[in-house]
Amino acid sequence: MSGKVAIIGAGPSGCFLAQSLLKAAPELEVDLIDALPVPYGLVRYGVAADHQGTKAITRQFARVFERQGARFFGNVAVGRDVTLDELRAAYDAVVLAAGMSVDNRLGVPGDDLAGVYGAGRITRALYEHPDAEALPDLGPHPLIVGNGNVAIDLLRLLAKTPGELDGTDLGPAPTGWLAGSGIETITITGRSPAARAKFDPVMVKELARLTGVTIRVVEPGESDDPDEAKRLDALATIDGHGEGARAVTFRFGLTPAEVLGEAGRVTALRFTTPEGDETIACTSVLTAIGFGPAGDLPRDALIASARDAEAGALAPGLYATGWFRRGPRGTIPDNRADAQALAARILDELTADPARPGRALFDGRSGIVDYDGWCRIDTTETTAPPEGRCRAKITTRAGMARIASEGVTTA
Amino acid sequence: MKISILYGTETGNAEMLAEDIQAELEGAHDVSCENLADTDPTALDPTQLYLLVCSTYGDGELPASAQPFAEAMDSAKPDLSAIHFAIFGLGDSEYHETFNGGPKHLAELMVAHGAVQIGERVAHDASGPDMPEDLAYPWAEAVIEEVEEKLGVPA
Repeated sequence: MSGKVAIIGAGPSGCFLAQSLLKAAPELEVDLIDALPVPYGLVRYGVAADHQGTKAITRQFARVFERQGARFFGNVAVGRDVTLDELRAAYDAVVLAAGMSVDNRLGVPGDDLAGVYGAGRITRALYEHPDAEALPDLGPHPLIVGNGNVAIDLLRLLAKTPGELDGTDLGPAPTGWLAGSGIETITITGRSPAARAKFDPVMVKELARLTGVTIRVVEPGESDDPDEAKRLDALATIDGHGEGARAVTFRFGLTPAEVLGEAGRVTALRFTTPEGDETIACTSVLTAIGFGPAGDLPRDALIASARDAEAGALAPGLYATGWFRRGPRGTIPDNRADAQALAARILDELTADPARPGRALFDGRSGIVDYDGWCRIDTTETTAPPEGRCRAKITTRAGMARIASEGVTTA
Repeated sequence: MKISILYGTETGNAEMLAEDIQAELEGAHDVSCENLADTDPTALDPTQLYLLVCSTYGDGELPASAQPFAEAMDSAKPDLSAIHFAIFGLGDSEYHETFNGGPKHLAELMVAHGAVQIGERVAHDASGPDMPEDLAYPWAEAVIEEVEEKLGVPA
């Protein structure tokens, strides 16, 4: 089967989709377009630096380019370098797999005070995303709002000792920031009761390996439901863990009502609880309460007018998959299942028009990083990393562009 | 030797490894590769050697594609006493308590229904220094050698 497919976003959803499409139809031309000069999106900039095993999934994605023939067009921002309409005219099918990266806000008075930060902002900076803002001073008493896996990731990284970061790809600046954070206590709060918290039990159990903390779980409650009981069991295994200097406290059933501050900076968070109001003092508030779409694609309008939003069919020849379709829920394998289902639908509906130019649309455009360019970046990053690190990321777009184009002669 | 590789996968990593093992063994053997999700445990063939490749997911559980197989096994209770298998597990020691829980469970299930396990269960650690295929190829060769010796099957 012939045909030309452009996938916007070279993160896990886009890569899984390309993998599925090319497995079923090896003759397809599948192009992965990304605003960053490097592929793999959330695996590189969202999966925690100390979860290198999870990142091993990029070995599958590398094969999509190396063996299955997908092409990478990095440093191409839809809306800036090419429009969605241009892509739809050039390809037989266009798939939006751009994920969700913008931190949801608390939406309570005071959520704009200095010292209130989204988890994505912090983790992007920790993982050296080239567009990240600087890492801020959290003070000695950060408070995390949210009970999903992102919140647990953030908690774990803030709680780790320098030695516990061996084997990661955490860069020197974030490493220094963590080592010098001066954090004494970390409070993590959830709106739901503990039994219905969103984290995976295995993520909580992992905290039992931390050596620099003392963990306390306040009033987790009980449940007869098997899934809820698993979550409570996981919390029970970490309650009382450790004798370290950093005090980690899990709190549940707290709904944020107002961020309190002095001189424009956060000093406390007031919550409503079933028992009345409660105020917890803190030096910063880290919100891990989900993500929304970046503004470069009209996601909400596209989903609202979709012919079959549930299946990811937006309009003729236009599709969506992964977090971009479903919202910021589900793990990497959930997005694999999603991509496999969408691949079947695209192949079913695809009408190849040989007159469409496909990737020829990009001929002669400068600044595009291809897969070979990424391989040069990858090799640079992984050749002789510092002691205790498996990779030293190139942290700027200019640096990536320079390395990607090294040794390339323009014809 | 007729070899059937069956994989249980969640992220696709076990599927990729299974395909790699197939490619590695194909020159010398008659090798097929199938998802456990598409495998009927009552239709296993005693003339084949089964190489199982299985990951772990969630809280030490079987990966999604192995779950229908395990469920079919529980309900059909096939007699697998004529079946020989070996198993290679994928896991991540970052989650130490549940490390390689999926393949352990699958091996126990096979043995509980009478299947004969060849060799020890090998566990790859995604957080360790080895590439899975660097452990899996020698594992497969050793298993095949042992079966050929034990059963006198010509290579």
